Amino acid sequence: MYISAPSCPSSSLPSSTHEGSTGNSTVSCCPTFSENMAAPMALRRELCSLARILSGISHLAPRALGVCSGHNKCNIIRSRLPSTSSTSFHTATVFSSITVTEEPDTLFQMVSVMVKGHDRAVLDSYEFFAKMAAQELGITINKVYEPPKDIERLTVLKSVHIFKKHRVQYEMRTHYRCFELSHMTGCTTQVYLEYIQRNLPEGVAMEVSTTAIEKVPDHILEPMWEDRPIDDKPGQ
Amino acid sequence: MAAHTSRAFLSLGRINVPGLGLHKSVSRVTYSTGLSTDSSKATTGSPQKGGKKVLSKKYKREPGDPRTELMPVDQDWTAVYPVATPFIPDAIPLPVRMGCPVKGGAPPEKKGNLELIKIPNFLHLTPAAIKKHCEALKPFCTEWPSALDTDAKCDEHFPIKVETKSYVSAGPSIRNPAARIVHLSVKLSSLNLNDQARKKMLKLVGDRYCKDTDILTITADRCPLKQQNYDYAMYLLTVLYHESWKIEAWEAEKTVADMEEYSWEGSLSQENILDVLVRMKEAGEGEGEEVREQLLGRREVQEYKDSVTRLKNEGENESTMLQYKEAVKKVLKL
Repeated sequence: MYISAPSCPSSSLPSSTHEGSTGNSTVSCCPTFSENMAAPMALRRELCSLARILSGISHLAPRALGVCSGHNKCNIIRSRLPSTSSTSFHTATVFSSITVTEEPDTLFQMVSVMVKGHDRAVLDSYEFFAKMAAQELGITINKVYEPPKDIERLTVLKSVHIFKKHRVQYEMRTHYRCFELSHMTGCTTQVYLEYIQRNLPEGVAMEVSTTAIEKVPDHILEPMWEDRPIDDKPGQ
Repeated sequence: MAAHTSRAFLSLGRINVPGLGLHKSVSRVTYSTGLSTDSSKATTGSPQKGGKKVLSKKYKREPGDPRTELMPVDQDWTAVYPVATPFIPDAIPLPVRMGCPVKGGAPPEKKGNLELIKIPNFLHLTPAAIKKHCEALKPFCTEWPSALDTDAKCDEHFPIKVETKSYVSAGPSIRNPAARIVHLSVKLSSLNLNDQARKKMLKLVGDRYCKDTDILTITADRCPLKQQNYDYAMYLLTVLYHESWKIEAWEAEKTVADMEEYSWEGSLSQENILDVLVRMKEAGEGEGEEVREQLLGRREVQEYKDSVTRLKNEGENESTMLQYKEAVKKVLKL
């Protein structure tokens, strides 16, 4: 049920304090491991539930909750999942599948995480967890605030037939909580968001809004018309 | 007496036919007890129940002490609740009570309490567990470059901002179509544009430009995937940039009505004020171009020009009207 990481030579992370450069290396895993991880989630879910039924789990099994959608940049392809790494705090093995590439890391000026739920107490606990996780990972928290709740009410007839004067009213309360984190790299965002999303409680939804900053691309630095044509040249 | 015989029949039936399915033994039981009298049914109740009671007593074992009694105080809680698990009252050594309290009493206890099972618990995310998880996750995080500590520096070195949203929720589908939208914003001052190119760019983009913050925002949502929308937005930016540098032949026919800003040189206001000053004979005697140019060089006329330009470009408010008034008074020597 466990996908074990292939043993690769461990490499140390370079220090990322270059002046004004984006040359931060991404942390990626070995290609075979990522291919395994791209296996259907349904299979892993079944295997995990089977494992739970058969034996009392004593290690952290990957809990397949709503993972962030495939359109998101912070996809799991590049970074390693905490599933394998958690065994290490039980067995204290060396992380052998961290690979460092030279591809420049994306920079996120602001990452805003908004969670919605029906129960305020659950969101309070989740806020404590998210704040502590951010502090432990060294992420600057800009603001944590609670937008006002939304109440959606509807009135329906109480009886199946006639009795128009007797109705029943229902309401659905949606509570919100917003965390604004600033100055995160792409790798840190992937790690943090995946950790947060895997531990999202039941009945809680999340919306992540990221603002990535980029340099002006090379093809926009100079205009491509060298001779400044006065005459009309359609199709250039 | 009959009851005992019926029970004996039942047990006989069960023991003799252990290998066969329960159905057959049950059917045998029913046939045998069908002959028994009503009194036996009344005393023993349903014959099947009676038979099961007799048998289940043999195999039932005593439930031991709940696990909470055996837990030491300094145990590793992360090992008891490593994953998100529903609330198990015998595994959590806390006297938790939840629910609607009985009148004059306490809320129901944790044993057999559905409310505690229904609500999501965070017992697997105690501070100790979070610290352990984060220790394991630390090697995969990278540091933010220390040179980019303020927003101004970020804007200076990285002027293009790409905003995207992603959604996580439970439902029939994990996809959210709103996740494909990409907003690309850039300050025009950070692009290499000259005056003509900037004006053409503003005409091309129209509403997407905000004058107060000098930010051009391109929103792309026409493609189904986020990556495609991002590529399209970058393509649009590139095309806009290069097209704005292009000068077409028909751009030379730009009229005063097409101008974005009011320019005083060659306008009706300039002619009028020069006519008035010549009539007032401010420059002394003489007609012609030299007189007009001399008048233009005067300080009052320049002030008048500034005030009129400001009035036309910025609109009418207190300061512009005041400035115009002062300039007119100085020019006409009132």
